[in-house]
Amino acid sequence: MPESIVTILDIAIGGLLLGGIYALIAMGLSLQYGVARVLNIAHGEFIMIGAFSTFTLYTVLGINPLVCLAIVGPIIFIIGFLLHQTLFTRLRIAAPNPGAYEASSLLAAFGLLFVIQNLALLGWGADFRAYSYLNFGVNIWGAIFSANKLVILGFAVGIGVAFYLFLIRTRLGKAIRSAAQDPQTASLMGVNINRVLSICFGFGALMAGIAGVLISMRVPLNPAMGLQYTLIAIIVIVLGGLGSIPGSFIGGFILGIIGEVVTHFEPSLSLAAYYFIFMLLLLVRPKGIFGK
Amino acid sequence: MLEVSNIDTFYGKAQALWDVSLRIDEAEIVALIGANGAGKTTLLNTISGLLRPASGSVEFLGQRIDGLAPHTIVELGVSHVPEGRRLFTDMSVRENLEMGAYTSGAWKRKEETLEQVYQVFPALKERGGQLARTLSGGEQQMLAMGRGLMSKPKLCMFDEPSFGLAPMLVLEVFQVMKSLREQGITILLIEQNVRHTLEIADRGYVLENGRIALEGESKKLLKEELIRKAYLGL
Repeated sequence: MPESIVTILDIAIGGLLLGGIYALIAMGLSLQYGVARVLNIAHGEFIMIGAFSTFTLYTVLGINPLVCLAIVGPIIFIIGFLLHQTLFTRLRIAAPNPGAYEASSLLAAFGLLFVIQNLALLGWGADFRAYSYLNFGVNIWGAIFSANKLVILGFAVGIGVAFYLFLIRTRLGKAIRSAAQDPQTASLMGVNINRVLSICFGFGALMAGIAGVLISMRVPLNPAMGLQYTLIAIIVIVLGGLGSIPGSFIGGFILGIIGEVVTHFEPSLSLAAYYFIFMLLLLVRPKGIFGK
Repeated sequence: MLEVSNIDTFYGKAQALWDVSLRIDEAEIVALIGANGAGKTTLLNTISGLLRPASGSVEFLGQRIDGLAPHTIVELGVSHVPEGRRLFTDMSVRENLEMGAYTSGAWKRKEETLEQVYQVFPALKERGGQLARTLSGGEQQMLAMGRGLMSKPKLCMFDEPSFGLAPMLVLEVFQVMKSLREQGITILLIEQNVRHTLEIADRGYVLENGRIALEGESKKLLKEELIRKAYLGL
């Protein structure tokens, strides 16, 4: 195969791999911000917790990181759910209007960021940690990818599609969609709005946690690693259109591919490119690709 | 069936309802009349649990419901079709109707109820797969009403169902009200169209500045000086 085609394939698959993670974390934040109205600046901390938990479970107890998905996921869901039931639901009820709630919940999320980060510092220390798992090359039409990258992509796509079907097909999924559009009317239909919003927040945390488990197979871990992912998730949900779950999913892949193309030419510019796209979007099409 | 007793309701510090009492008996159509800002919607919101009264009580079938959450009140059999339709515009017509049957009791029977609602509003059946926002104004109102019936309510409260509709469609809305009552559904109706409303209603209440100014049988209300002057332009 000619060299140039291998390069393009390399970039395309690399972009999808990166995009899979972006899609997952953005869908999570989209549930928390688009539906539950909490701009959860501590979103990345759930990624970090997912990653460090996996690191410990694998290196200390020898539990397979893919099995960790099934352990860490539900635990983080429950943490997210309870956090929303206690902290954010109270703030929501206390707020005189939705705008005031967005402000107070953002501040609370900031506090959460520092609390979680400092607890992680206490538990795991400030050093970078890493482990090796499924780290062998797989040849796809001449381009070599490490197996763990492909596993990450498979899970990200699988979880994204499964969640989309859940939203479309199930009773709870429909309740989530109706609550995203008009929580007050949803409550008139019989939807327990506090519970559904807490479930959304829990799902958002779950997706961050799962992304963390997957990321830990590839990147060195550090308690301060979360914020960069939060920022990327914010860019993606604006790109995809606030409140649109499919928009976040597709937006994640678009940003991943852009990131990979930029990295191919100048690796140090990929974050700068993200912010450039973000500013451009806010100026030209603030409602994003799928926004209304 | 429904007994609202001496309620005061506030928006923040502003009082919107003053000592309001209202009674609805089974299989009645009760009209709620009043100018914009008189407190009609506030009263409906207080009954359905979106607002809590500061004092007074709301009883439904002998049970206190003031202070309960809206989703619990629907479960007990009170449906509220809100002002301005408030459809889930990004969901299909069918999904909107399904949401109307969200309570656990209604969800199990939703296919059966769906057929009954399609009989009342045949146009909705053809449009089942369409997004709600692509419907015409009249169809959207039919959908809002159909959605309100999907919970199989004992009492259904409609907030200006004919607002913004063409005269032909307005008549259709009143026809639907009558046929619902024949099916045994009790109705609380807010309407701008005072003459038509009082013609189909059994009794009526007139709200003025958050207080009940008049109440009585519709036939008598139609003869009242206040109503004739203020609402019928006679």
